[in-house]
Amino acid sequence: MSSATDRLSTATGRIDQSLQPLADVYNRLFGDYFGEMNGLQFVLIFGTAAALLTAPFWGNFGLVRAMTVAAIWAIFAMSWDIQSGYTGYISFGHSVLSGAAGYTTAMLIHNVNPELSMMITIPVSIFAALVVGLLVALPSLRLTGPYFSLITFVAVLIFYRLIPSFSQYTGGETGIQSVEVFTYAPVARYYYMVVPMLLIAVVLTLIARSNIGLILMSIRENEAAVNAAGINATKFKIFSFALSSIPMGIGGVLLVHFSGGVDPTTFIVVDRSIEMIAIAVLGGMSSILGPLGGAFFLIVLRDYILTDIANLGSSIRWTVFWALVLLVLVFARDGVFRKLWHGLDRIGGDRR
Amino acid sequence: MSLLEVDGLTKKFGGLVAVDDFSFDVEEGEIVGLIGPNGSGKSTVFNCIMGLYDVTDGSITFNGDDITDDATHEVVNKGLSRVSQESNPIQEMPVAGNIKLFTLPNSIRSFYGGASEEEIYEYAARIDIEDKLHEMPSELPHADVRRLEIAKSLATEPELMLLDEPFAGMNQAEIAELADQIEGFREEGMTMIVVDHNMGGLMELVDRIVVLNNGDFLAEGTPEEIAENERVQEAYLAGEGL
Amino acid sequence: MISAVYALIAIGFTMIFGVGGVLNLAHGALIMIGAFTYLAATSAAIPPFAGFLLAVVVTAAASYALYAGLVKYIEDNIVITFLATVVVALLLTELVIIQFGSAPSQLLPVISGTIYLEAVGTRIRYVQLLAFVVSWIAIGALWYYVTKTDEGRSILATSMSTRGAELTGVDLQKVKSRTWLIAGAFAGIAGVFIGTLQSTSPQMWLSPLALAFIIVVIGGIGSIKGSVIAAYLIGYLETASVEILGPSFQGVLSLVVLVAILLLKPNGLFGRELVHE
Repeated sequence: MSSATDRLSTATGRIDQSLQPLADVYNRLFGDYFGEMNGLQFVLIFGTAAALLTAPFWGNFGLVRAMTVAAIWAIFAMSWDIQSGYTGYISFGHSVLSGAAGYTTAMLIHNVNPELSMMITIPVSIFAALVVGLLVALPSLRLTGPYFSLITFVAVLIFYRLIPSFSQYTGGETGIQSVEVFTYAPVARYYYMVVPMLLIAVVLTLIARSNIGLILMSIRENEAAVNAAGINATKFKIFSFALSSIPMGIGGVLLVHFSGGVDPTTFIVVDRSIEMIAIAVLGGMSSILGPLGGAFFLIVLRDYILTDIANLGSSIRWTVFWALVLLVLVFARDGVFRKLWHGLDRIGGDRR
Repeated sequence: MSLLEVDGLTKKFGGLVAVDDFSFDVEEGEIVGLIGPNGSGKSTVFNCIMGLYDVTDGSITFNGDDITDDATHEVVNKGLSRVSQESNPIQEMPVAGNIKLFTLPNSIRSFYGGASEEEIYEYAARIDIEDKLHEMPSELPHADVRRLEIAKSLATEPELMLLDEPFAGMNQAEIAELADQIEGFREEGMTMIVVDHNMGGLMELVDRIVVLNNGDFLAEGTPEEIAENERVQEAYLAGEGL
Repeated sequence: MISAVYALIAIGFTMIFGVGGVLNLAHGALIMIGAFTYLAATSAAIPPFAGFLLAVVVTAAASYALYAGLVKYIEDNIVITFLATVVVALLLTELVIIQFGSAPSQLLPVISGTIYLEAVGTRIRYVQLLAFVVSWIAIGALWYYVTKTDEGRSILATSMSTRGAELTGVDLQKVKSRTWLIAGAFAGIAGVFIGTLQSTSPQMWLSPLALAFIIVVIGGIGSIKGSVIAAYLIGYLETASVEILGPSFQGVLSLVVLVAILLLKPNGLFGRELVHE
């Protein structure tokens, strides 16, 4: 380590040591389930959680709105991660899953009964996402990685092309706009999105740090070894996809009730899938919390910092955005938040 | 009834016949050596038994159960395990994690199952790598990487272990040590098939040898009988001698 | 008719994947570069034919630059490469929008005028004929190159087995650079023709790219012959689905065939083995 980091770590090391007792309480209670942390990391995690839960009180309207959208995308990115990040079978079609949920809700309202209660539409939509997930996963996960990825990409194309074909049911290119919104009140709306997002984060992290996560990760690193260990790798691959479909469905439902409708551009097009991947990779694939951070970082950057603050025109904004994404991809491919986490590990000094 | 019965095993890759009508049996508690010149089909036989290849013809029976068409993980769960010729540990995890994977049950509902830390220690200790549990595979010397492969196999609690070139790349002392440990497994009740080119290590270890040449059965007998068998010597002439 | 042009795109795409294992999603954007270079050239009063050549050269150079300047450094990681090429494509789209605006433009045909074909009873444009002829000349030239010349054969060899090619002394970097160059040139040709026969806009590259994907998968990854045959199959299916099922069902038949291929013969009609044993 350079002397600058040395000097930094004496200061941060002391901060870390003062916080360590607090972290250790957490470690004793939850370490087995979520992994252990040092003092600085503890602050990062719980500080962020506290900030997220109290955002409406310290943020302005634009920021809170961006964070609301970010929460939904965090769900998408985390769901993608538990499947693609962990197993290494990269899915380019995750937008089909959230799209299935969103469209189910919208089509039920539009074609069946506009008065249908959310109590019914929500579970049905999430179930639809799961069904679509299994439809895609079952035939394709027998194949090797690149072919699996191609099939997921094709799934998006199929879905997208079917929409104009059945436009009387699906609303075609313009979609359906008659879905009830949860609420227009920005504070309530924020919590409607953030709370499920945090719950999903906890559950997915729990799964990822358990033996299931170990198996999924081993599939990525060496699938033959998993089979040689007496574990049916294909079963787990399909399981990860099905598992991923459920929060995708939840996210899809949240999105449709946020915007009040569905249309192919917001829900289905492959651009959306690629954004999910970009967010997850930028944040740090295969860590669940990395993608969460990535979502907030990118969405707030795109919708708030570059828009409200910097006031850039649309094309320039996107140019800057994509240029930044490219830089991170090339120079920090393990993900921004993973680097941060390891950085805190280093400057936190000795943990035990 | 034998523990393992291979009957008329044939494996073709397109037009190439890798194994042709090969049969042999393994009794419980035996250590059988499977030898043959390079390219004779030994690894193919192992791959067929472990379900990595689809068998073209013939059958494989284990404990009376037909495992010919079983997938790899099914074969492992029925009690067969193989130590591969190439070591391929998962580089991202330490030795303990690598072993742990092999103790996990094949169940999507099991979040915290598998072996305890003590049990993992035991598996490692049986092959003398218990002091390396927290090291990463890339930090291990070659002999220890091979030991890790054996530990992984032990962790699946097999009845029959297939060892593919276990002595490869080891020096005399390491070979002697490993041979002792393998003998130790037999005393614990394990049945084994060993494939290796190193005849020195093999001769002392095995009860019986089966010889494969060009995918065909060539000979079978005690180590002494095989060493004196002229046809076996001829087959090896192109490769290394006995 | 336009299938030949689609074949060009598919071939470029499949060559890059076959040789380097890279899914180059910026390939579609190269089509856009070809079209817009032509637009810029002809707007600056450069004669159409020269503009066409310029478009091809610029696009080939851009493709080469993409490889040498970016992909070469990241191609070890499939996900990063994929994402990076997509991002490059999206970046280029935005830059084109900034420069040219996002409304579709009309391209000056390389040859204007039409001809009436008595036998078939339809009127086709000279440009369509030219697209057909040029594409087939390009395909033929490529075929000759990879089967008869040493340089070209090394490309084919590498796409079959990288290690095997290395062992016979092939310089991988050179082979890959050449592949990207050729693929870029093809994309440039395709860009001008698609831009003329369909439309030219910053969004123009996604649809041909998707089609190229489908063609490559059906034809088989790494197979030039496969791409050509699949391109004609898809071309036919696209028009057939509109005629048989109606305009809103365009492209559905192609997708059905695609799914069938993926499930029954995943490595395509002529492709390499890429599936579990």
